[in-house]
Amino acid sequence: MEAKERILIADDDPSYIEINKTILEANGYQVEEAYTSSEALEKLRAEEYDLLILDLMMEEKDAGFTVAYAVREDERLKSLPILMLSSAEKQTGFSFQMDRDKEWMKIDDFAAKPLKPAELIQRVQKLLGAMQDG
Amino acid sequence: MDESKVKKILVVDDEPIIRIGCERILEESGYHVELAENGLVGLEKVQAGSFDLVVIDLMMPEMGGLALLEEIQKIDDKLICIVITGYATIETAVDAVKKGAYDYLPKPFTPDEFRAKIARGLERRRLLLEAEQLRHERDMNLLECSNEKSRTLTILNCLSEGLIATNKKGQIALINPAASKMLHLRTGHIVGKKVTGLLGYPELEKNIIEMIKKTTGKSTLKKMEIETTDGRTVQPNITAILDERDETLGTVTVLIDISEEKKIEKMKSEFVRLVSHELKAPIGAIQGYLNLILDDVIGGDKEKERDILQKTRDKTESLIELIGDLLDLSRTERKLTEREMRMVDVASIIVENVEFYRNEANEKNISLIMREDSELPPVRGNYEELSRAFANLISNAIKYTLHGGRVEIDVTKTKAHVVIAVKDNGIGMSEEDLSRIFTEFFRGKNAVSKKISGTGLGLAIANRIVEDHNGYIEVKSKLNQGSIFTVVLPVMKQQA
Repeated sequence: MEAKERILIADDDPSYIEINKTILEANGYQVEEAYTSSEALEKLRAEEYDLLILDLMMEEKDAGFTVAYAVREDERLKSLPILMLSSAEKQTGFSFQMDRDKEWMKIDDFAAKPLKPAELIQRVQKLLGAMQDG
Repeated sequence: MDESKVKKILVVDDEPIIRIGCERILEESGYHVELAENGLVGLEKVQAGSFDLVVIDLMMPEMGGLALLEEIQKIDDKLICIVITGYATIETAVDAVKKGAYDYLPKPFTPDEFRAKIARGLERRRLLLEAEQLRHERDMNLLECSNEKSRTLTILNCLSEGLIATNKKGQIALINPAASKMLHLRTGHIVGKKVTGLLGYPELEKNIIEMIKKTTGKSTLKKMEIETTDGRTVQPNITAILDERDETLGTVTVLIDISEEKKIEKMKSEFVRLVSHELKAPIGAIQGYLNLILDDVIGGDKEKERDILQKTRDKTESLIELIGDLLDLSRTERKLTEREMRMVDVASIIVENVEFYRNEANEKNISLIMREDSELPPVRGNYEELSRAFANLISNAIKYTLHGGRVEIDVTKTKAHVVIAVKDNGIGMSEEDLSRIFTEFFRGKNAVSKKISGTGLGLAIANRIVEDHNGYIEVKSKLNQGSIFTVVLPVMKQQA
């Protein structure tokens, strides 16, 4: 494994952070964690990351979007790939479609929690690969 | 014979012989008879008494028969007058009848003739009175009808539901104040006008008109809802008014304000949404943990595997706890009357719970202390529910107090209340969190509390139970210094 790509996971549920962290670390990524949206923004501004895995519902029901907007408005961070995760999709009746909602959602991929390990890795690889290609 | 039914007859004649003759004949027939020797006396008697019939001699000094006849007509036009005269001519008799006499009898007359005339006169009197009675009754009925109408209007005006009636042309026939208020209309100006464009709610107007035009399946139209300009939700139920041949006469629309129901409905679906999320999060985590093992993420690391399974089990336990709390919450929604309320000794509930949580406290090396006033009065309540409320408060205090801390419970009495204070020197909470702690699923968010498991329902349940017992919970808290939860319950009134 070459230089480890750094991923920040922002989620208010420690279990999900642990699960995803375990998967990503097992696949050779370096993982940092943030439990609130403000903690996530602090870390993003202070350090370099290659990918942000962002929970939609944190303190507020759509705190994830707030973080996503802040990232896109930041000169240095605006091209950081974001994988948004949420378990809210079905209950809220939201049905996100990347090709349609990508613009306003300001994220690069969206998936319902929990993601199976193989699927998480596949999505992460795709987002990181797209970055390298672009 | 019944006094009141005896007919009263007045005989006015200046000739004593006639007077006495008449009196004798009439009394023999069972009438009550009074006599007057001239017109003036006769008039006085008519004015004073209630006669059914007056026999008047036309030729009298002082006041003549015709003059008396006229006066009598003024007093009572239903009083039967029969004129008698010794100088009978057709002209005077016709004159008298024109002036209101019922009949005339020329002298001399036989007792039979006299009796026959009197009898016919009285029959006439009876018919007149009966007609009068019927007319009176009819008038009374009409009065009652109009009273009934105003009563109905009063009822309609007092209805809290709005009511709009239209005729078959779609013109407003009636609108009550509640309807005008709901739709913000000015009543006075709209009766008689067509509803289209008048009510300000096109869908409602359209539906009223459609109900009039509908020829089949005329039932009440429900399901429609309109949002009024002041943000309330009104449900108009439109019904066709049909005659006996099922022809539409018009419509009646009842407007019901369902804003409160809407609000509750919204709260309910919001709650269901929250519950679903709270249930899904731990199940998703369980799935995620199991994926780590089943999809071989951890690569056979036995120690790691065990740790993950332990966490999975913790999650299932917290799920069971959550479901238990949800059941408790729904239990508090039952009506108070359906619960068993007894005399309850609060101190013994606390003692039980302190013993129950003793181990948990010992594990964290927390000293758990209870003090109580002597002779605490009982409160009226449900033992199990109150126990649940205090269990939640005590377990919270232990949960949110760090290793080696203290939890103290003081049970005191005032004149009308039993006061239970649960005090800890734990992590406390910010003022912002404090304002929301009784909200379902709210959990304080800070570095320490994040690692403590909980459903976010315990305090909501405790608060509901205490409020259902006519008490209240007061909270004081400072971040990193501790919290005091004070439960105040009213003392059960001693029965004299």
